[in-house]
Amino acid sequence: MNRAIGVAGTWRAKRQIRTPEHVRVRLDPAGPGSRFLGLLVDFALILALTALASSALSKLLPKSLGTLAIATLSFVLTWVYHVGFEVRREGRTPGKAMLGLRVVDARGLPLSLEQSFVRNVGRVLDFAPVLYGLGGLVALLDRDGRRLGDLLADTLVVRDEGNSRRRMAAANLPETLRRQGQAPVDPELARLARHRLSLDERELVVALVRRADKLDPRARYDLFEQAGQHFRRKLVLDLPHLSGEALVRALALAIAATGTRR
Amino acid sequence: MALPLERLLAEGRDRWRRLDELLDVAAKAPAWELGPERMREIVRLYRLAAADLNRLVAATADPELIDPLNALVGRGYRFVYGARRVESFWGVRRLVRFFTREIPAGFRSGRRAVVVASLAFGAGALLGFGAVAVRPSFAEDLVPGEFFTSSPRERVAEIEKKEERIATVEQAADFGSQLYTHNIRVSFLAFCLAAATVVGGIWLLFWNGVILGAVAASYVLDGVGVFFVAWVGPHGALELPSIVFAGAAGLVLGRAFWFPGEVTRGAALRAAFPTVWRMLIGTSAALVLAGLIEGSFSQLSAKTVPYPLKIGVAIVLFVALSLFLFGRRAAAEGAGREGEAA
Repeated sequence: MNRAIGVAGTWRAKRQIRTPEHVRVRLDPAGPGSRFLGLLVDFALILALTALASSALSKLLPKSLGTLAIATLSFVLTWVYHVGFEVRREGRTPGKAMLGLRVVDARGLPLSLEQSFVRNVGRVLDFAPVLYGLGGLVALLDRDGRRLGDLLADTLVVRDEGNSRRRMAAANLPETLRRQGQAPVDPELARLARHRLSLDERELVVALVRRADKLDPRARYDLFEQAGQHFRRKLVLDLPHLSGEALVRALALAIAATGTRR
Repeated sequence: MALPLERLLAEGRDRWRRLDELLDVAAKAPAWELGPERMREIVRLYRLAAADLNRLVAATADPELIDPLNALVGRGYRFVYGARRVESFWGVRRLVRFFTREIPAGFRSGRRAVVVASLAFGAGALLGFGAVAVRPSFAEDLVPGEFFTSSPRERVAEIEKKEERIATVEQAADFGSQLYTHNIRVSFLAFCLAAATVVGGIWLLFWNGVILGAVAASYVLDGVGVFFVAWVGPHGALELPSIVFAGAAGLVLGRAFWFPGEVTRGAALRAAFPTVWRMLIGTSAALVLAGLIEGSFSQLSAKTVPYPLKIGVAIVLFVALSLFLFGRRAAAEGAGREGEAA
């Protein structure tokens, strides 16, 4: 889901921490879908580990000890797996890592052993009555999508920043725009864009062009037409041969040529 | 004053990338492997990135530009300000200290909740016992089906006549492990209910008391009260307090959650975590022991172990548990604080 559009994006993005440097850093809560998938992966891994360990134990130990050891092991594994990975790997179990999730203290810090323990013990209640019914319901109602265990431990599952390097490389403004269209820049349009458009409007143009490919076709058409209407009015343009998207793209090229200055 | 966006991006990109790489290394390597040089570099780059984020937010609202840097600064913040446990949890001496000192300290600091939970459970037990004693037909309504036998006396006679139900170590181990894994789960549920709702936890404890009282009354009325005590006693001496303790730990956390007082909810919860975590680990350990006893010793009939011995074991276990957890007040209070500091 693209965060800039959709209602969820606006209300999900509110949790902020303020660092001692007086910088506000936003925590980005993860959605229930990816969390559930991550849990499924973890669950499968726990099952596999238990099966492996019990087959090994039943061969190594005499039968009387074997049953006790296996029952204990499978029980301990379910709890130690989550707590161990969350504490040792900075809030990432293998399932969470695969889905790009991470558990953090609600203050944005790494979570402690006690916190991890409490949030995982909370699974007993979250799981009730079936398949995380209660936890899922609470997560839907909570602003940050937290289940009961998270609320009690004051923790938060966030979207992980693991791919930030790739995204940072992509955050190269003018190059991205130039690559998207080879058409020559209309000097008149460039002049208008430089003098008549506010920072917000230029950003709107840039954001629309950058994300055009990710939009649903109908939403893409509607958005570009709306934006096109707005700019036609604002810049008093009469370019009937241009579609909304073509107009916005032309503006984007003009902005890229002049640089985004304030 | 805002820098032109482009220049900010061009200037920052290299150092952000470097910080990202260093944090990757730091996530995998322990602090001493990282060395002071790189550690200082991380802190320096983090501060720069934080300042860059402030400027970037002032210059643009485009999430595609802000998000990566926001994530990077968040990650740096976690690294720079996240307190790390210097001491490992898994040292032998650490574990010994945890079980002998910190767990009792946890129980002592949660003793008020233990009293409340015990009262709820005790009141339930009295009510259940009284109700069945006054009108035995209540037993049918109060006692769950699997425990309800029309005549406890016949059941006792049957158990005492037959072979031992648990004859081999294998059976005992199997039954015992089933029991304690189940009991720990139940106690965790009691903890969660108490923590999330407070009232729900008290109700659960009360209701469990009612059931126990009702079952006890039906055995006593039928003249086999001694069998009941000998049967439930040895494991019950640990198991029943454990359920109460789990509920009490939940009450400690529930109080912090619902009634944080003058501090924020997060601060109240964090203050409660050491107590809660110690109580729950202590409870789980007691339940493992109780399950093993229930799977073996408790099931033995009078043919093998006379009742007085079983009841004696029950009393010894209960007294030992109480003394261990609540006995050494003055001496251990200091140790508790010491544990708190660690």
